[in-house]
Amino acid sequence: MMKLMQRSGLRSAWTLLTLLSLCVIWAWLTPAYANDSANQKVQGNFAGADYWREVSDGTEGYTTSKSAEHGQLINIDGERWRQWRNEWISPAGLIAIGGSLGLLTLVYLLLGKMKLDKPRTGRVIERWKRFDRAMHWYVAISFLILAFSGLLILYGKHFVPDLLGYTVWKNLIALSKLLHNYIGPLFAIGLLVMIVRWIGNNFFNLTDLKWFLQGGGLIGGKHPSAGFLNGGEKGWFWALTLLGLVVVGSGLVLDFPIFGQTRDDMQWANLIHAGTSLLLFAISLGHIYIGTIGSEGALEGMKTGYVDETWAKQHHDLWYNEVKDQAIDAKELK
Amino acid sequence: MKLTKKSNTSSGQQQGLGLSRRAFLKNTGVTTGGLAAAGFMGQTMIRKAEAQTAVSPNAPKEVKRTICSHCSVGCGVYAEVQNGVWTHQEPAFDHPFNRGAHCAKGAALREHGHGERRLKYPMKLVNGKWQKVSWDQAINEVGDKIQQIRSESGPDSVYWLGSAKHNNEQAYLFRKFAALWGTNNVDHQARICHSTTVAGVANTWGYGAMTNSFNDMQNCKSIILIGSNPAEAHPVSMQHILLAKERNKAKIIVVDPRFTRTAAKANEYVRIRPGTDVAYVWGLLWHIFQNGWEDQEFIRQRVYGMEEVREEVARWTPAEVENVTGVGEAQMYKVAKMLAESRPGSIVWCMGGTQHTTGNNNTRAYCILMLALGNMGKSGGGTNIFRGHDNVQGATDLGVLSHTLPGYYGLADGSWKHWCRVWGLDFEWVQNRFDQNQYNGKKPINNNGIPVSRWVDGVLENKANIEQKDNIRAMVYWGHAVNSQTRGVEMKKAMEKLDLMVIVDPYPTHAAVMHDRKDGVYLLPACTQFETYGSVTASNRSMQWRDQVIEPLFESKTDHEIMYLMSKKLGFSEQLFKNIKVNGSIPLIEDITREFNRGMWTIGYTGHSPERLKEHQQNWHTFSFQTLQAEGGSAHGEYYGLPWPCWGTPEMKHPGTPILYDTSKPVAEGGLNFRTRFGVERNGVSLLSEDSYPVNAEIKGGHPEFTDKLIKQLGWWGDLTPEEQAAAEGKNWKTDLSGGIQRVAIKHGCAPFGNAKARAVVWTFPDQVPKHREPLYTNRRDLLKDYATWKDAASIYRLPTMYESIQKNDVSQEYPIILTSGRLVEYEGGGEETRSNPWLAELQQEMFAEINPFDANNLNVRDGADIWVEGAEGGRIKVKAMVTHRVGRGVVFIPFHFGGKFQGKDLTSKYPQGSAPYVVGEAANTATTYGYDPVTLMQETKVTLCKVTPA
Amino acid sequence: MAKMKFLCDSERCIECNGCVTACKNANETEWGIQRRRVVTIEDGKPNETSISVACMHCTDAPCMAVCPTDCFYQTEDGIVLHDKDLCIGCGYCLFACPFGAPQFPKQGAFGERGKMDKCTFCAGGPEPDPIKQKEKYGANRIAEGKLPLCAEMCSTKALLAGDAQKVSDIFRERVVYRGHKNGAWAATTPLQMSPEEMALKAQALASDASNIIAKA
Repeated sequence: MMKLMQRSGLRSAWTLLTLLSLCVIWAWLTPAYANDSANQKVQGNFAGADYWREVSDGTEGYTTSKSAEHGQLINIDGERWRQWRNEWISPAGLIAIGGSLGLLTLVYLLLGKMKLDKPRTGRVIERWKRFDRAMHWYVAISFLILAFSGLLILYGKHFVPDLLGYTVWKNLIALSKLLHNYIGPLFAIGLLVMIVRWIGNNFFNLTDLKWFLQGGGLIGGKHPSAGFLNGGEKGWFWALTLLGLVVVGSGLVLDFPIFGQTRDDMQWANLIHAGTSLLLFAISLGHIYIGTIGSEGALEGMKTGYVDETWAKQHHDLWYNEVKDQAIDAKELK
Repeated sequence: MKLTKKSNTSSGQQQGLGLSRRAFLKNTGVTTGGLAAAGFMGQTMIRKAEAQTAVSPNAPKEVKRTICSHCSVGCGVYAEVQNGVWTHQEPAFDHPFNRGAHCAKGAALREHGHGERRLKYPMKLVNGKWQKVSWDQAINEVGDKIQQIRSESGPDSVYWLGSAKHNNEQAYLFRKFAALWGTNNVDHQARICHSTTVAGVANTWGYGAMTNSFNDMQNCKSIILIGSNPAEAHPVSMQHILLAKERNKAKIIVVDPRFTRTAAKANEYVRIRPGTDVAYVWGLLWHIFQNGWEDQEFIRQRVYGMEEVREEVARWTPAEVENVTGVGEAQMYKVAKMLAESRPGSIVWCMGGTQHTTGNNNTRAYCILMLALGNMGKSGGGTNIFRGHDNVQGATDLGVLSHTLPGYYGLADGSWKHWCRVWGLDFEWVQNRFDQNQYNGKKPINNNGIPVSRWVDGVLENKANIEQKDNIRAMVYWGHAVNSQTRGVEMKKAMEKLDLMVIVDPYPTHAAVMHDRKDGVYLLPACTQFETYGSVTASNRSMQWRDQVIEPLFESKTDHEIMYLMSKKLGFSEQLFKNIKVNGSIPLIEDITREFNRGMWTIGYTGHSPERLKEHQQNWHTFSFQTLQAEGGSAHGEYYGLPWPCWGTPEMKHPGTPILYDTSKPVAEGGLNFRTRFGVERNGVSLLSEDSYPVNAEIKGGHPEFTDKLIKQLGWWGDLTPEEQAAAEGKNWKTDLSGGIQRVAIKHGCAPFGNAKARAVVWTFPDQVPKHREPLYTNRRDLLKDYATWKDAASIYRLPTMYESIQKNDVSQEYPIILTSGRLVEYEGGGEETRSNPWLAELQQEMFAEINPFDANNLNVRDGADIWVEGAEGGRIKVKAMVTHRVGRGVVFIPFHFGGKFQGKDLTSKYPQGSAPYVVGEAANTATTYGYDPVTLMQETKVTLCKVTPA
Repeated sequence: MAKMKFLCDSERCIECNGCVTACKNANETEWGIQRRRVVTIEDGKPNETSISVACMHCTDAPCMAVCPTDCFYQTEDGIVLHDKDLCIGCGYCLFACPFGAPQFPKQGAFGERGKMDKCTFCAGGPEPDPIKQKEKYGANRIAEGKLPLCAEMCSTKALLAGDAQKVSDIFRERVVYRGHKNGAWAATTPLQMSPEEMALKAQALASDASNIIAKA
């Protein structure tokens, strides 16, 4: 995951972050949804208006049903959850992902792929150990499975059945839920291991401050200095760590409804899970962009574990200075 | 609901709602492995399961008309059967009682067709293990054993405990069976249900039954329910009660120690201290008399002894009433005024009134209240006594009781002779079946048998103190829930002392598991009422015919077939079935109906021929939901089910009596007056009614009961046909088998049983005027000075009975809380059947005790926590606490339907494999205590003392 | 086209649970699944009321709106049904439902809940084979011209089911008979009024009921 952040990538990531934060804050600050009118839409002929008024505050009573929360006559928060999920989070997620993709496309069209400044030296330096790479791809693949299954769960019904038909949709959505629920905990383990292993490299220092002050190279038109990881990479690490933990935590609440979680708990968990994971996904697009088509030589490091001297010097000059002695001929790798 | 429904009765082809083979097997619980199932089920069942698998969705559908077997409201049911499998249950919108409605139990009726947890074949206990035996072997072994007991200890050492779950024919046959065996040790749960009602009410005005009907309650202007919770015990009756409230603006008053579901629908809820009913009623009458609200004209014409009541009531000043009952003057006045201003009004009571040491006093006090208000014999008035089990009224009427023969004929020689004539048997032969010795100067044939409430004492009491040869040595529980009886701990001892226990029931019941016996227990699988047919009497005295819905499940047999097999083994089947055709081993139901038709003159069970009953069954839709009267159709003018008395022979076509003692109709059309039952005068004062008689009566006033002599005196003898004259000579309205005396009396507009006043004073009872007496276990020791109980009795129903010697011991320090018990809507009686019905059992999975938050907090008991409830005699039950305001402070309520646990021990493993109910729990009556009404030996289940400790 | 609705009259409901077992009888749902339940509020206190609840077949059904698979659909009669083949057991419908109607056969780790089950208004479900339909969804009484068994069997006729307009008419009639909580109406019995007066009052005072129905 830890890939270089080129100028363009950096820019797009920041823009997205801002945009999403705004969306979310705006949404959360909006006054609580007016329960009454919503309830009227759904209550039907419940038991007459007087009765409805008496019980629509979530009154609980006695019942012989043993099902969870069957004592509560009216699920007062259900409608709020529905509104938040369907009216806010769902569209905001689309805007975030769409915005992210749009920006990245724009960046690509305007700037194209960031090339290496100088020709490759043919000598390479080891950047990622086998374990790091295995871990990266383990987390990356599970992340992508979760992301796409999650997106299908949230948005799939609006287009997949129309495009692919009932049978495909039936199997696809069942598979999505299955993968999402079983891969989720596996992702959580990977994420935790990753955080523990990489956290040491990711504390911000003065160099990162300078890196940020120069906008990762946007300001001053010159590559800012960077160590093994630059400020942008560390930013992504922390975004992943913090948002990821929230996603994992809320996900587990939903995935293991066997500890007496209430319907209310799960509504909250779901909102948090959906909001945060959409945000994380939108951000991750930037990371993926830079790691793949956005920047020459970046993917190599995570594929083979070695980077060319030229690449190292260009993106991580301080680190390069430390490890240049260890460079070997690329041919030796074969 | 009469919305867009298109069909419910037609048996036309229906699309695709049958049961597949898999579904059927699933429903009967046979799927778990073919081999295991085969071993477990036995050959018979396998054959049946195979036969029933052929049900296809388009299989022809037969619609059977049956009656719910879970309470006495008598709701009609359409059972749809395809290839012998009960596939659907449809609401009978045209049924005059329920209009398709059901409570939880009625709506779950079809589960009887699954019967997964039924007892599947005869079993016996061998070395503590259940062993399957054949019917032949079971009947032979049981028969040999009881014959042996008979030869050693006499016929009274075998106890025949019958059932309110029998249909009328089976109930009648059961009583006759016991008679021909030679004992009066026969009884059923009516003893512990409404025996004090039957005694108290019959002794007030003639008949001990509900006077009006559920339907008629729609006409009430007020309804006072005391010790009755129809919302849970008789839910469908609430349809009528709520209609009265809505349409008629009727005032609903609920008097109960517990705020019940019925109380929630009341205009006024009165919380009284348990066991203070008489004081409460006298408190109401105090205000009624004080304000002159009584119906003086009604009292003058139709009530004897109200003056003596006045004297007693005068003591019950508002202050004293508050002191005893806990109800303040303002509320007493308010309720009295409501009752006075809202007439006609009805009173309803159930177990809350009857199951007391003072039960007979309570029931008479209720009657007196209605008499004072002039509410009797009127539409919208009456004492509407809701009976319990589906056929408890019928089984009572047909005399499955230790103190009477069918039709309340009693046990005197004359009664025996009457029935011997009906049976076509020689009186001497029957007499010789009994123990010929005398005990305490009483001959067993004429002496009340031991009642069901006391069989435990019949086993455990020193035999020198019992008015029979020996203790009870064999108990035959034929459709009885032992956990509905008090003193569970002693009952266990009694069971272990017995030589033989025979349980004849569709389920093993709590009786199969609560003891620690190793042998001498037989379980015989009986059918439910859906596997046979016959008549059943609802609470309102209407007799309804049931179709057979399905064939007997597993190896079960119908009760009447088992009676046949048993009587054959015991050597009196010829006498028992002299007038009754037996096909193979199955007696013909209709012949049994016809036989009791010929003998039940006292209460008019004589007009109910099987043909008339079946006609009513086929014409539900023609009877009015308001009046029960048919308008048009083949039963035009008749009342649904011919509510008894349906006088005379079936040919006389009496329409039934919808409202007892209603003088606004001619007797021939269902009118009546109070019965001349207690003589014509007392202390020189006439007991006959004054200026009150049914419309068109030729005798304009009171008269004695009809005898051949009276008929002759009146010059009506010539109205009898020569055949009738021959039969009626020397007979009276009760014993004339031709029905001529009844016919002629009614022809002249007179009630065959005479026309007298109701009596407010019952001079043959321990308290002539009902008195408040404190319960045997009371924590109001200060009241004993004025309201102590009776002296101990040397013998009631053959047994010494304690009162004072119990009450004088003060246990209220150790047991400070009042313990009362009652019903849940989901279960019935001992609950074995309903707890074996998964649709119901799912709703109440745990035995609990309701406790007020005040007491719970003082005792450090949390809602849902386990607690021990220990009764004042040391019986303990471990239950869940339900902390609730339903009960007041100082009162704990427990439901009595649970069984299968005993003093903290789970007995599930003791049931025969596969027949344990889905839900087991502590039996409430493990914790209940001694206490019996002196008139009927009704048990006390509603007031005792207990202590509660966290478990 | 009729719009099918339930209405439970709390003045009549006595918590007898007849509707609950009637549902079991019609649909044979497994132990633990109660498509209908009765809730009693203020249990044991003077203002105790009970009410029977199941899927209310909302016009704007929240379950339908949040279902990730779009397994819900509304019949022409306004009955909300769902396709169990499509259901993935995510539980969202339960989060959204105002009445706690959706239920799941289990509540396992990894969100294994099984297929959601709920009241079908006794209208079965999307399964052409009648035997399978019965096993999967329960009875299809609507196809036979019958109403849900719970309402048909209600002990006190508290639970009404059927076309919204007819249900509302019945309820309105009862409101009239009872008099209205807030009006001077309660003091007068219907019989003491002229028919015109009665009709007028009835219309005004029962507006509660009809308003709800109009909105639903």
